[in-house]
Amino acid sequence: MNCESPLEILISETEKVNPAILLAEEFMRRDSADLLSTDDIHRAEETLDLGRSEIETTRRQIAAFERSAARPSEGLPTGF
Amino acid sequence: MSLTQAGKDLPYTLPFTERLSKSIEYLGFKARSHSAITAYDYVAGVLSEQQKYVMYREMFPKEWKRSKASLYRRGYYRKYSERVNELINLVNDKCFPLLEFAYDDPESEFDQFAIPPLNVDLCCEEIYFENLHISYAAALIFYFPDDTWAFLNHRFKLSKGEFPEIGSDPHPNVWNPKSCSPFGELLRLVDHSTGNPWLDSNYCQTADWYSWDREAIEELTKEYRAANEIFERLRDLDEMIEADPKKMLRALIKFWNSGEHPDLGLSGSSATQIRSSGNEIYEESHRST
Repeated sequence: MNCESPLEILISETEKVNPAILLAEEFMRRDSADLLSTDDIHRAEETLDLGRSEIETTRRQIAAFERSAARPSEGLPTGF
Repeated sequence: MSLTQAGKDLPYTLPFTERLSKSIEYLGFKARSHSAITAYDYVAGVLSEQQKYVMYREMFPKEWKRSKASLYRRGYYRKYSERVNELINLVNDKCFPLLEFAYDDPESEFDQFAIPPLNVDLCCEEIYFENLHISYAAALIFYFPDDTWAFLNHRFKLSKGEFPEIGSDPHPNVWNPKSCSPFGELLRLVDHSTGNPWLDSNYCQTADWYSWDREAIEELTKEYRAANEIFERLRDLDEMIEADPKKMLRALIKFWNSGEHPDLGLSGSSATQIRSSGNEIYEESHRST
Protein backbone atom coordinates (compact mmCIF):
# COMPACT_ATOMS: atom_id res chain seq x y z
CA MET A 1 0.00 0.00 0.00
CA ASN A 2 1.25 3.47 -0.84
CA CYS A 3 1.97 5.31 2.42
CA GLU A 4 2.66 8.66 0.82
CA SER A 5 0.39 11.53 1.76
CA PRO A 6 -1.70 13.17 -0.98
CA LEU A 7 0.63 16.17 -0.82
CA GLU A 8 3.69 13.97 -1.31
CA ILE A 9 1.99 12.23 -4.24
CA LEU A 10 1.20 15.59 -5.80
CA ILE A 11 4.75 16.91 -5.32
CA SER A 12 6.21 13.77 -6.86
CA GLU A 13 4.09 14.05 -10.00
CA THR A 14 5.80 15.32 -13.15
CA GLU A 15 4.65 18.76 -14.10
CA LYS A 16 3.06 18.70 -17.55
CA VAL A 17 0.22 20.10 -19.61
CA ASN A 18 -2.74 17.85 -20.36
CA PRO A 19 -2.21 16.67 -23.97
CA ALA A 20 -5.83 17.52 -24.83
CA ILE A 21 -4.98 21.21 -24.30
CA LEU A 22 -2.07 21.02 -26.72
CA LEU A 23 -4.13 19.15 -29.33
CA ALA A 24 -7.05 21.57 -28.94
CA GLU A 25 -4.69 24.47 -29.70
CA GLU A 26 -3.36 22.61 -32.74
CA PHE A 27 -6.86 21.81 -34.01
CA MET A 28 -7.96 25.40 -33.49
CA ARG A 29 -5.29 26.62 -35.86
CA ARG A 30 -6.00 24.17 -38.65
CA ASP A 31 -8.52 24.51 -41.46
CA SER A 32 -11.60 22.35 -40.93
CA ALA A 33 -11.89 21.78 -44.68
CA ASP A 34 -8.62 19.83 -44.57
CA LEU A 35 -10.12 16.63 -43.30
CA LEU A 36 -8.18 14.69 -40.72
CA SER A 37 -6.29 11.67 -41.99
CA THR A 38 -6.74 8.25 -40.43
CA ASP A 39 -3.44 8.75 -38.60
CA ASP A 40 -4.62 12.12 -37.27
CA ILE A 41 -7.86 10.59 -36.03
CA HIS A 42 -5.97 7.75 -34.39
CA ARG A 43 -3.59 10.20 -32.71
CA ALA A 44 -6.53 12.34 -31.54
CA GLU A 45 -8.30 9.31 -30.08
CA GLU A 46 -5.16 8.30 -28.21
CA THR A 47 -4.73 11.85 -26.94
CA LEU A 48 -8.34 11.91 -25.79
CA ASP A 49 -7.81 8.66 -23.84
CA LEU A 50 -4.68 10.07 -22.25
CA GLY A 51 -6.34 13.43 -21.57
CA ARG A 52 -9.35 11.76 -19.96
CA SER A 53 -7.12 9.57 -17.82
CA GLU A 54 -5.21 12.65 -16.59
CA ILE A 55 -8.44 14.52 -15.85
CA GLU A 56 -9.67 11.55 -13.81
CA THR A 57 -6.36 11.30 -11.95
CA THR A 58 -6.57 14.98 -11.07
CA ARG A 59 -10.14 14.56 -9.90
CA ARG A 60 -9.15 11.65 -7.69
CA GLN A 61 -6.30 13.66 -6.20
CA ILE A 62 -8.59 16.61 -5.50
CA ALA A 63 -11.07 14.26 -3.83
CA ALA A 64 -8.22 12.74 -1.75
CA PHE A 65 -7.16 16.23 -0.69
CA GLU A 66 -10.70 17.07 0.34
CA ARG A 67 -10.79 13.98 2.52
CA SER A 68 -7.43 14.75 4.13
CA ALA A 69 -7.52 15.93 7.73
CA ALA A 70 -6.43 19.51 8.25
CA ARG A 71 -3.01 19.88 9.91
CA PRO A 72 -1.36 23.07 11.10
CA SER A 73 1.55 24.12 8.95
CA GLU A 74 5.00 24.28 10.46
CA GLY A 75 5.59 27.67 8.93
CA LEU A 76 3.46 30.57 7.76
CA PRO A 77 3.07 30.73 3.98
CA THR A 78 4.28 33.95 2.41
CA GLY A 79 1.58 36.58 2.39
CA PHE A 80 -0.10 35.50 5.64
CA MET B 1 -5.55 22.60 -50.67
CA SER B 2 -4.38 24.79 -53.58
CA LEU B 3 -5.69 26.58 -56.62
CA THR B 4 -4.01 26.60 -59.98
CA GLN B 5 -3.79 29.91 -61.76
CA ALA B 6 -1.80 30.43 -64.95
CA GLY B 7 0.04 27.19 -64.34
CA LYS B 8 1.11 28.13 -60.82
CA ASP B 9 -0.10 26.60 -57.60
CA LEU B 10 -1.50 29.29 -55.35
CA PRO B 11 -2.27 28.64 -51.70
CA TYR B 12 -5.98 28.28 -51.12
CA THR B 13 -7.46 30.93 -48.86
CA LEU B 14 -10.81 30.57 -47.17
CA PRO B 15 -13.49 33.09 -48.11
CA PHE B 16 -13.62 36.12 -45.81
CA THR B 17 -16.81 35.02 -43.99
CA GLU B 18 -15.25 31.64 -43.25
CA ARG B 19 -12.04 33.23 -41.96
CA LEU B 20 -14.12 35.56 -39.82
CA SER B 21 -16.15 32.64 -38.41
CA LYS B 22 -12.97 30.70 -37.76
CA SER B 23 -11.39 33.70 -35.99
CA ILE B 24 -14.48 34.24 -33.85
CA GLU B 25 -14.44 30.59 -32.86
CA TYR B 26 -10.74 30.80 -32.03
CA LEU B 27 -11.23 33.93 -29.91
CA GLY B 28 -14.11 32.28 -28.09
CA PHE B 29 -11.92 29.26 -27.42
CA LYS B 30 -9.06 31.40 -26.08
CA ALA B 31 -11.41 33.52 -23.98
CA ARG B 32 -12.88 30.49 -22.23
CA SER B 33 -11.19 28.93 -19.27
CA HIS B 34 -8.38 27.01 -20.92
CA SER B 35 -8.82 23.95 -18.74
CA ALA B 36 -8.14 20.35 -19.65
CA ILE B 37 -11.86 19.57 -19.53
CA THR B 38 -12.72 22.38 -21.98
CA ALA B 39 -9.90 21.28 -24.28
CA TYR B 40 -10.99 17.64 -24.04
CA ASP B 41 -14.57 18.55 -24.99
CA TYR B 42 -13.33 20.66 -27.86
CA VAL B 43 -11.09 17.93 -29.30
CA ALA B 44 -13.87 15.37 -28.93
CA GLY B 45 -16.19 17.80 -30.78
CA VAL B 46 -13.68 18.34 -33.60
CA LEU B 47 -13.18 14.62 -33.97
CA SER B 48 -16.90 13.96 -34.11
CA GLU B 49 -17.44 16.73 -36.67
CA GLN B 50 -14.50 15.60 -38.79
CA GLN B 51 -15.90 12.08 -38.91
CA LYS B 52 -19.15 13.55 -40.20
CA TYR B 53 -17.31 15.56 -42.86
CA VAL B 54 -15.56 12.41 -44.05
CA MET B 55 -18.92 10.67 -44.15
CA TYR B 56 -20.46 13.58 -46.07
CA ARG B 57 -17.65 13.61 -48.64
CA GLU B 58 -17.80 9.85 -49.16
CA MET B 59 -21.56 9.49 -49.30
CA PHE B 60 -22.45 12.65 -51.19
CA PRO B 61 -19.31 13.71 -53.10
CA LYS B 62 -21.17 15.93 -55.58
CA GLU B 63 -22.96 17.86 -52.85
CA TRP B 64 -19.77 18.11 -50.79
CA LYS B 65 -17.89 19.57 -53.75
CA ARG B 66 -20.40 22.29 -54.43
CA SER B 67 -21.30 23.02 -50.82
CA LYS B 68 -20.71 26.52 -49.51
CA ALA B 69 -22.05 25.81 -46.02
CA SER B 70 -19.72 26.98 -43.29
CA LEU B 71 -17.51 24.56 -41.43
CA TYR B 72 -17.42 26.93 -38.44
CA ARG B 73 -20.78 28.68 -38.04
CA ARG B 74 -23.41 26.76 -36.13
CA GLY B 75 -26.42 25.60 -38.15
CA TYR B 76 -30.11 25.15 -37.23
CA TYR B 77 -29.13 22.21 -35.05
CA ARG B 78 -26.83 24.28 -32.94
CA LYS B 79 -24.57 21.50 -31.81
CA TYR B 80 -23.34 21.12 -35.38
CA SER B 81 -21.76 23.30 -38.05
CA GLU B 82 -23.77 24.42 -41.07
CA ARG B 83 -21.95 21.77 -43.12
CA VAL B 84 -22.95 18.97 -40.77
CA ASN B 85 -26.50 20.34 -40.79
CA GLU B 86 -26.40 20.00 -44.55
CA LEU B 87 -25.40 16.33 -44.16
CA ILE B 88 -28.25 15.75 -41.71
CA ASN B 89 -30.72 17.19 -44.23
CA LEU B 90 -29.22 15.14 -47.08
CA VAL B 91 -29.68 11.94 -45.09
CA ASN B 92 -33.27 13.02 -44.39
CA ASP B 93 -33.95 13.81 -48.06
CA LYS B 94 -32.10 10.97 -49.77
CA CYS B 95 -31.91 8.12 -47.27
CA PHE B 96 -34.77 7.97 -44.78
CA PRO B 97 -37.03 10.25 -42.73
CA LEU B 98 -34.52 11.10 -40.03
CA LEU B 99 -36.12 14.39 -39.02
CA GLU B 100 -39.72 13.23 -38.71
CA PHE B 101 -39.19 11.81 -35.28
CA ALA B 102 -39.46 14.95 -33.14
CA TYR B 103 -36.28 16.51 -34.40
CA ASP B 104 -37.68 20.02 -34.74
CA ASP B 105 -35.76 21.09 -31.67
CA PRO B 106 -32.58 23.06 -32.53
CA GLU B 107 -30.94 21.46 -29.51
CA SER B 108 -31.38 17.95 -30.98
CA GLU B 109 -28.35 15.70 -31.13
CA PHE B 110 -27.80 13.08 -33.79
CA ASP B 111 -24.80 11.16 -32.55
CA GLN B 112 -27.39 8.70 -31.29
CA PHE B 113 -30.78 8.73 -33.01
CA ALA B 114 -34.03 6.77 -33.17
CA ILE B 115 -36.22 6.03 -36.20
CA PRO B 116 -40.00 6.38 -36.50
CA PRO B 117 -41.97 3.11 -36.91
CA LEU B 118 -43.52 2.65 -40.37
CA ASN B 119 -45.83 -0.20 -39.46
CA VAL B 120 -49.31 0.13 -37.97
CA ASP B 121 -49.19 0.37 -34.20
CA LEU B 122 -51.51 -2.48 -33.22
CA CYS B 123 -50.54 -2.25 -29.59
CA CYS B 124 -52.27 0.85 -28.28
CA GLU B 125 -53.67 2.85 -31.17
CA GLU B 126 -57.18 2.49 -32.49
CA ILE B 127 -57.23 0.61 -35.80
CA TYR B 128 -58.83 2.41 -38.71
CA PHE B 129 -59.43 -0.46 -41.13
CA GLU B 130 -60.49 1.85 -43.94
CA ASN B 131 -57.04 3.45 -43.95
CA LEU B 132 -55.16 0.16 -44.25
CA HIS B 133 -54.19 -1.85 -47.30
CA ILE B 134 -57.09 -4.26 -47.73
CA SER B 135 -54.68 -7.22 -47.51
CA TYR B 136 -53.28 -5.89 -44.23
CA ALA B 137 -56.78 -5.34 -42.88
CA ALA B 138 -57.82 -8.87 -43.91
CA ALA B 139 -54.81 -10.41 -42.17
CA LEU B 140 -55.99 -8.89 -38.91
CA ILE B 141 -58.60 -11.69 -38.66
CA PHE B 142 -55.87 -13.67 -36.89
CA TYR B 143 -55.24 -10.96 -34.31
CA PHE B 144 -58.46 -8.97 -33.87
CA PRO B 145 -61.10 -11.37 -35.27
CA ASP B 146 -64.25 -9.60 -34.10
CA ASP B 147 -63.38 -6.16 -35.45
CA THR B 148 -61.89 -7.58 -38.62
CA TRP B 149 -64.87 -9.80 -39.47
CA ALA B 150 -67.14 -6.83 -38.86
CA PHE B 151 -65.06 -4.82 -41.30
CA LEU B 152 -64.97 -7.62 -43.90
CA ASN B 153 -68.69 -8.10 -43.57
CA HIS B 154 -69.29 -4.41 -44.10
CA ARG B 155 -66.87 -4.24 -47.03
CA PHE B 156 -67.42 -7.56 -48.84
CA LYS B 157 -70.47 -9.07 -47.15
CA LEU B 158 -68.32 -11.93 -45.85
CA SER B 159 -69.03 -13.63 -42.55
CA LYS B 160 -66.94 -15.84 -40.34
CA GLY B 161 -69.27 -18.85 -40.74
CA GLU B 162 -68.46 -19.14 -44.43
CA PHE B 163 -64.82 -19.96 -43.72
CA PRO B 164 -62.85 -22.77 -42.07
CA GLU B 165 -62.02 -22.52 -38.38
CA ILE B 166 -58.86 -20.53 -37.74
CA GLY B 167 -56.18 -22.35 -35.73
CA SER B 168 -55.09 -20.68 -32.54
CA ASP B 169 -51.46 -20.81 -33.66
CA PRO B 170 -50.17 -20.43 -37.19
CA HIS B 171 -48.30 -23.19 -39.00
CA PRO B 172 -44.49 -22.73 -38.56
CA ASN B 173 -44.13 -22.13 -42.32
CA VAL B 174 -45.82 -18.78 -41.82
CA TRP B 175 -42.70 -17.42 -40.14
CA ASN B 176 -40.26 -18.90 -42.64
CA PRO B 177 -39.01 -16.03 -44.83
CA LYS B 178 -37.39 -18.52 -47.22
CA SER B 179 -40.82 -19.70 -48.32
CA CYS B 180 -41.09 -16.51 -50.46
CA SER B 181 -44.82 -16.53 -49.91
CA PRO B 182 -46.63 -13.20 -50.25
CA PHE B 183 -49.01 -14.40 -47.52
CA GLY B 184 -46.02 -15.14 -45.29
CA GLU B 185 -44.62 -11.69 -45.93
CA LEU B 186 -48.01 -10.16 -45.16
CA LEU B 187 -48.42 -12.08 -41.91
CA ARG B 188 -44.89 -11.31 -40.75
CA LEU B 189 -45.60 -7.65 -41.49
CA VAL B 190 -48.79 -7.67 -39.43
CA ASP B 191 -47.02 -9.60 -36.69
CA HIS B 192 -44.16 -7.05 -36.64
CA SER B 193 -41.67 -9.87 -37.12
CA THR B 194 -40.11 -9.05 -40.47
CA GLY B 195 -36.61 -8.48 -39.13
CA ASN B 196 -36.76 -4.94 -40.55
CA PRO B 197 -36.34 -2.25 -37.84
CA TRP B 198 -38.72 0.16 -39.63
CA LEU B 199 -41.50 -2.44 -39.57
CA ASP B 200 -40.97 -4.28 -36.31
CA SER B 201 -40.93 -1.28 -33.97
CA ASN B 202 -43.86 0.59 -32.54
CA TYR B 203 -44.42 3.61 -30.34
CA CYS B 204 -45.16 1.49 -27.28
CA GLN B 205 -41.73 -0.03 -26.96
CA THR B 206 -38.49 1.66 -26.11
CA ALA B 207 -36.88 2.90 -29.30
CA ASP B 208 -33.63 1.40 -30.54
CA TRP B 209 -30.85 3.94 -30.79
CA TYR B 210 -28.46 4.03 -33.69
CA SER B 211 -25.00 5.55 -33.88
CA TRP B 212 -24.37 8.20 -36.47
CA ASP B 213 -21.91 6.37 -38.68
CA ARG B 214 -21.85 5.38 -42.31
CA GLU B 215 -22.55 1.73 -41.67
CA ALA B 216 -25.70 2.45 -39.63
CA ILE B 217 -26.97 5.08 -42.11
CA GLU B 218 -26.48 2.77 -45.08
CA GLU B 219 -28.07 -0.20 -43.35
CA LEU B 220 -31.09 1.86 -42.28
CA THR B 221 -31.41 3.28 -45.80
CA LYS B 222 -31.44 -0.22 -47.25
CA GLU B 223 -34.00 -1.39 -44.70
CA TYR B 224 -36.15 1.69 -45.29
CA ARG B 225 -36.28 0.93 -49.00
CA ALA B 226 -37.04 -2.72 -48.31
CA ALA B 227 -39.84 -1.69 -45.93
CA ASN B 228 -41.45 0.53 -48.56
CA GLU B 229 -41.15 -2.21 -51.13
CA ILE B 230 -43.01 -4.58 -48.84
CA PHE B 231 -45.87 -2.07 -48.66
CA GLU B 232 -45.72 -1.65 -52.44
CA ARG B 233 -46.03 -5.41 -52.92
CA LEU B 234 -49.20 -5.45 -50.83
CA ARG B 235 -50.89 -3.77 -53.78
CA ASP B 236 -50.80 -7.05 -55.74
CA LEU B 237 -52.56 -8.83 -52.90
CA ASP B 238 -54.98 -5.91 -52.52
CA GLU B 239 -56.01 -6.20 -56.15
CA MET B 240 -56.54 -9.93 -55.88
CA ILE B 241 -58.61 -9.59 -52.72
CA GLU B 242 -60.72 -6.87 -54.32
CA ALA B 243 -61.27 -9.16 -57.32
CA ASP B 244 -62.20 -12.27 -55.34
CA PRO B 245 -62.28 -11.65 -51.59
CA LYS B 246 -63.77 -15.01 -50.65
CA LYS B 247 -61.20 -17.07 -52.54
CA MET B 248 -58.31 -15.03 -51.25
CA LEU B 249 -59.46 -15.12 -47.65
CA ARG B 250 -59.88 -18.90 -47.83
CA ALA B 251 -56.36 -19.17 -49.20
CA LEU B 252 -55.02 -16.93 -46.45
CA ILE B 253 -56.72 -18.97 -43.72
CA LYS B 254 -55.45 -22.18 -45.32
CA PHE B 255 -51.94 -20.78 -45.30
CA TRP B 256 -52.26 -19.84 -41.61
CA ASN B 257 -53.58 -23.28 -40.68
CA SER B 258 -51.44 -25.54 -42.89
CA GLY B 259 -48.56 -23.44 -44.19
CA GLU B 260 -49.59 -24.36 -47.73
CA HIS B 261 -49.59 -21.58 -50.22
CA PRO B 262 -51.98 -22.03 -53.14
CA ASP B 263 -50.84 -20.94 -56.57
CA LEU B 264 -52.37 -17.51 -56.93
CA GLY B 265 -50.07 -16.39 -59.68
CA LEU B 266 -48.11 -14.38 -57.13
CA SER B 267 -45.81 -16.81 -55.42
CA GLY B 268 -42.21 -16.32 -56.38
CA SER B 269 -42.64 -13.46 -58.82
CA SER B 270 -43.15 -10.65 -56.40
CA ALA B 271 -41.82 -12.47 -53.40
CA THR B 272 -38.39 -13.14 -54.82
CA GLN B 273 -37.97 -9.41 -55.24
CA ILE B 274 -38.31 -8.94 -51.52
CA ARG B 275 -34.69 -9.04 -50.68
CA SER B 276 -33.25 -8.19 -54.05
CA SER B 277 -33.76 -4.45 -53.86
CA GLY B 278 -30.63 -2.51 -54.56
CA ASN B 279 -29.03 0.11 -52.42
CA GLU B 280 -28.30 2.76 -55.00
CA ILE B 281 -29.10 5.77 -52.85
CA TYR B 282 -25.92 7.58 -53.66
CA GLU B 283 -25.67 6.39 -57.20
CA GLU B 284 -26.71 9.69 -58.67
CA SER B 285 -24.20 11.58 -56.58
CA HIS B 286 -21.34 9.26 -57.46
CA ARG B 287 -22.24 9.04 -61.11
CA SER B 288 -21.79 12.74 -61.64
CA THR B 289 -18.39 13.00 -59.98
